[in-house]
Amino acid sequence: MALVKKTTSEVVDHEERKRKRDCGSLAHQLCDPDPATRRWAARDLADCPEASSVLVKQLRREMDASVREIILTTLTQRGDEEAVAGLIECLRSEDASLRNEALEAMKLLPAEVAPIMGGLLSDPDPDVRIFAVNVLESLRHGKVEEWLKEVIESDPHVNVCATAVDLLGEVGTPFSREALENLKARFPDQPYIRFAADIALKRILAN
Amino acid sequence: MAELNISKEDFLKFREFFYRKTGIQFDDSKRYFVDRRLIERVEATDSGCFRNYFMMLRFEASGDEIQTLTNLMTVNETYFFREEYQFQCLINSILPELVQHKKDKSPIRIWSMPSSSGEEPYSIAMYLLEYWACINQWDVEIISSDIDTKILNQARRGSYSQRSVGNLPKSLLTKYFTPSGSEYQICEDLRQAVEFTRVNLMNAADVRGYRGFDVIFCRNLLIYFDDLSRRQAADTFYDALHPGGFLCLGHSESMSRISSLYKARKFPDSVVYQKPTEAS
Amino acid sequence: MKRILIVDDAATVRMYYRFILEEAGYLVMEAVNGIEAMEKSLQEGSFDLYIVDVNMPKQDGYGFLSDLRGREELLQAPALMVSTESAPHDRTRAYAAGASIYLVKPVKPEELLLNCQLLLGEVRP
Repeated sequence: MALVKKTTSEVVDHEERKRKRDCGSLAHQLCDPDPATRRWAARDLADCPEASSVLVKQLRREMDASVREIILTTLTQRGDEEAVAGLIECLRSEDASLRNEALEAMKLLPAEVAPIMGGLLSDPDPDVRIFAVNVLESLRHGKVEEWLKEVIESDPHVNVCATAVDLLGEVGTPFSREALENLKARFPDQPYIRFAADIALKRILAN
Repeated sequence: MAELNISKEDFLKFREFFYRKTGIQFDDSKRYFVDRRLIERVEATDSGCFRNYFMMLRFEASGDEIQTLTNLMTVNETYFFREEYQFQCLINSILPELVQHKKDKSPIRIWSMPSSSGEEPYSIAMYLLEYWACINQWDVEIISSDIDTKILNQARRGSYSQRSVGNLPKSLLTKYFTPSGSEYQICEDLRQAVEFTRVNLMNAADVRGYRGFDVIFCRNLLIYFDDLSRRQAADTFYDALHPGGFLCLGHSESMSRISSLYKARKFPDSVVYQKPTEAS
Repeated sequence: MKRILIVDDAATVRMYYRFILEEAGYLVMEAVNGIEAMEKSLQEGSFDLYIVDVNMPKQDGYGFLSDLRGREELLQAPALMVSTESAPHDRTRAYAAGASIYLVKPVKPEELLLNCQLLLGEVRP
């Protein structure tokens, strides 16, 4: 028969490390022309001290999606201040994919991101504020509903408010009831806002 | 204690949340199924009411409750020829495409994980022997891994209950198994066809040597992982596969909650995922 | 019955479009991102129209359209792209990716309906 069984030692590729794995070399390999080399370097840098800045630097110029993904996974695993700062910077990138990827990574770091939420929610750029509201979805923080309520009470941008209402449908309580009613009056020509606010109210008042 | 009740609005809220997290959609007909399990968990966690339970579920750092709940909402029995359409896909579509592109006569390598008690890798082996026309032209290696050494030993032994073999055509049961008391012992040929190894998928050192696979079966495992672990697993499989290699997930699992690295491929029997061919 | 796939990560937005489109007699399905949209297209058969958000996790609207336009096995149905962003370069990019119409959120019901009808060939431009 042609089902061939090898022993475990043959199954697993025990090749000698072709590349050195000390942190200095890894940082170097992060810029290697071969994407597979870059991927392994990004993976192994997870345990290197002070690797976050070099990872963020590569992330910003990395063209290969598979390498970007591993860099982001590693940054998320590290979750240190530098990693978070780097991810936040990516929110402002011209590259839409990078912005979305950074947002996703931030959502996996709720505790690390919580301290800077206030600032992000009042960023002058409405797109950053939309992302900030998006991040709230994964935050375990006593102030989440309060922040959302503040957004719908005072953010001038309809889409920032729309994003907040969507989330209030899931986490809202009677605390936000009045703000939701008022939101409809804030944007009287926006049927979507009316629709979304009504859904949230229905959910909040169901019990 | 007042009888717990899940309101329509609560059901909708939960349904959206669960769909977002897992990709599993419950239509209205599943209301009773879902409500009962939610009530069970509300009580088990002493949450008092659905609202409290839901907040806990959403915000729990460990993600344990959502895993427990997912377990409850999905069917997770293992048995021979479970989700058979993927084995059909393997021989009807995946293998023909692989051999067409193969540049040499090196063995075709298949990784099945988790092995659990072995039903999946042995099913693959049986399917290849019975239904793949080209089995005599190609060598195939089947490696199957699990984190649990006890269950690996059980898999190596190859002794199964009636329940486990119940889905097999009688002819195959007779051909590959010997009744032994109330159990069925799988034949030596099949036991010799699968290499069982211990692996912790989340441990980089464990998985580093797993490369050069043509097909990976990882069914009904990732759905129980948290978001980050799922990604890590998908990244690991990506490097474990040859370019053009295939990954098969469970029927209620989807790459849409995991990773964008793979290309979805539709075959007559199934949608599976492929590592891009031009990758390195 | 014409089939429309709504691709947007916001549940309320999907609900809103569904409400409008089902009223008008269309069959509606949903996906939360580009990857799920592709899976559904492959599994359920091609759709007659796609309504595609831009910013979504895992795969955004541009990524999805690029994938869709590269697939011979799928019907090349028209796509309506919807975004929070309104700069001219976003519009250009959408058309380049294979969208026929680009709308800025929030979308009004008549606006959504009319543009869908237009792309489905049900009204004359």
